Amino acid sequence: MTGRVIVITSGKGGVGKTTTSANIGTALAKEGYKVVLIDTDLGLRNLDLLLGLENRIVYTIVDVIEERCKLKQALVKDKKNPNLSLLAAAQTRDKSAVNAEQLKDICDKLKEKNDFVLIDCPAGIEQGFQNAVAGASEAIVVTTPEMSAIRDADRIIGLLEAKEEIKSYKLLLNRVRPNLIKSNDMMSVDDVVEILSCPLIGIIPEDTGIITSTNKGEPIVNDENSMAGKAYRNVAQRILGEEVPFLDLDEPKGFMAKIKNVFAKLKAKV
Amino acid sequence: MEKGFVENGFIIDLSSAMNTTQLVFELSSIMEHPEVKGKRICLKLGSLDLKQSQLLSIKALIESMDASIAFIDTSSEQTDAAAVSLGIIVSKVGEGSNMESYVASPSNLQEESVVVKEENAIEDIPAYNEAEEGKTVEVHADITTAGSEEQNNEPISTLEGIEDVYTEQTADELSEVIPSENFETDFETLAVNEGLISNEEVSKYILLDTGDVLPQDAEENSVDTKTLPTLYINQTLRSGQTVNYEGNILIIGDAHPGSEIIADGDITVWGILGGIAHAGAKGNISSKVRALKLNAIQLRIAGLYARRNDTLNVPYVQKTNEFTPEEAQIEEGKIVIYKKLRRD
Repeated sequence: MTGRVIVITSGKGGVGKTTTSANIGTALAKEGYKVVLIDTDLGLRNLDLLLGLENRIVYTIVDVIEERCKLKQALVKDKKNPNLSLLAAAQTRDKSAVNAEQLKDICDKLKEKNDFVLIDCPAGIEQGFQNAVAGASEAIVVTTPEMSAIRDADRIIGLLEAKEEIKSYKLLLNRVRPNLIKSNDMMSVDDVVEILSCPLIGIIPEDTGIITSTNKGEPIVNDENSMAGKAYRNVAQRILGEEVPFLDLDEPKGFMAKIKNVFAKLKAKV
Repeated sequence: MEKGFVENGFIIDLSSAMNTTQLVFELSSIMEHPEVKGKRICLKLGSLDLKQSQLLSIKALIESMDASIAFIDTSSEQTDAAAVSLGIIVSKVGEGSNMESYVASPSNLQEESVVVKEENAIEDIPAYNEAEEGKTVEVHADITTAGSEEQNNEPISTLEGIEDVYTEQTADELSEVIPSENFETDFETLAVNEGLISNEEVSKYILLDTGDVLPQDAEENSVDTKTLPTLYINQTLRSGQTVNYEGNILIIGDAHPGSEIIADGDITVWGILGGIAHAGAKGNISSKVRALKLNAIQLRIAGLYARRNDTLNVPYVQKTNEFTPEEAQIEEGKIVIYKKLRRD
């Protein structure tokens, strides 16, 4: 078995790389695939918190590289889904503790026994980024519909194109707010795709549920009623090669449509 | 004896205190004055309701300053009953008595009272007693911070006497360690030492099966941790910082989640322990971990690892000002945690 190694990156910080990694990883694992998440943000790890696995980490990626433990020992199994495991970053070290070669080595070992290896990349384009990208053959570039995030994403796409190992890269547009787009206060999805000229793999609406799910350590894909959760499940389907239409984020217009919408929401809650 | 008259007495009027916390603040700041020493004290408590354990703690506080309670003046029935059961005389302060009086006003108390309370309380920690005897204080550990490659080899704080440390600290810094509005639980701590409150086993940690976690050259032993040197750290440990020391570690401050404390002996945190703590890291099974709030992500003692229960894993709910001193130790091959500080 040779699994796919996908790096999730963005350039800019705070656009949702880690949230995306946790949710896509969980969604793929729920589909029955074996998934390993690697946190490469050494010194500023967060992925373990989002998955609620912080208290289970004994060995980290640095322990594996410095041969204090076996790779298998360092993989932390998810609480709910045995298909999902996490290779945590070291909190007490910095990016220089790892080099690209070592990370590539780990990815190569992991993809032999797993369907997917998802790498959560740190912000920036320095060593941390170079390390994270080294073992990957595919990339998902996360961005938000803001000029600064798009500029950074553009830079990242340029760097990814220059790497021979990266065979394909896709864009994931995060934190989209349909009502702001409608009032022309936010760039539309089409605008962003046009600026970056990069194939789209998902549109994730802004969802307040993300905040609570992060604090609880429970990925939002487990929440059946959440729009963002649904959007992430769709992204997972697209990664698996299925054609899933993008979510219609627009609220229905007109008085009757609004009433219908209210009833639909009530029904969903019941 | 005339009503309210006491030879060599001293009236302390605490009737303006709104709650027990304020009362302890005021009392402890007054007790700091040297003229109180050796006096028989009359406490005016007003209408405040005090439990027996709280009254006992107040008595202990006064007695620790070489003074004694002559009688108390209260209008609360609960306090009255508590005093009677403890054998404290309840009376009224007579007008025109020839006792000196000190009326506490909240304005002159705020800052210094924090320091006083801190000093009183810290005496309960065994490690402090060691320092007093001059056994310890040999410092050569280093704190490493992720992101900086240089290692800071300077001692974090060399401790000559505990007074020096406290005079250097401002009340602001101290309030980081103990939020000033919460002294309620100190009553309980004192009461434990009086043998009133028993230890309560806490089960919020689950043993991890991680196989061989000790370094290869480490052997299981049970060296008395009192014989080991102690490192004092007078700062907050933040995420990514580690302290590693061949002895006991005492942290006066919080240890945030993401920090790591590794000691060959005991680990004591005078604050909230939220990171990873590894006591007896070279196999000393008699070492212990204790903290005012023991909330570590993982507890490791010698070769045993335990993780915090998942239900306690929510960081933003955990941030409370409630302090329940807890101590973890190995018992029959398990990590057992006891609520309240134990005195062996």
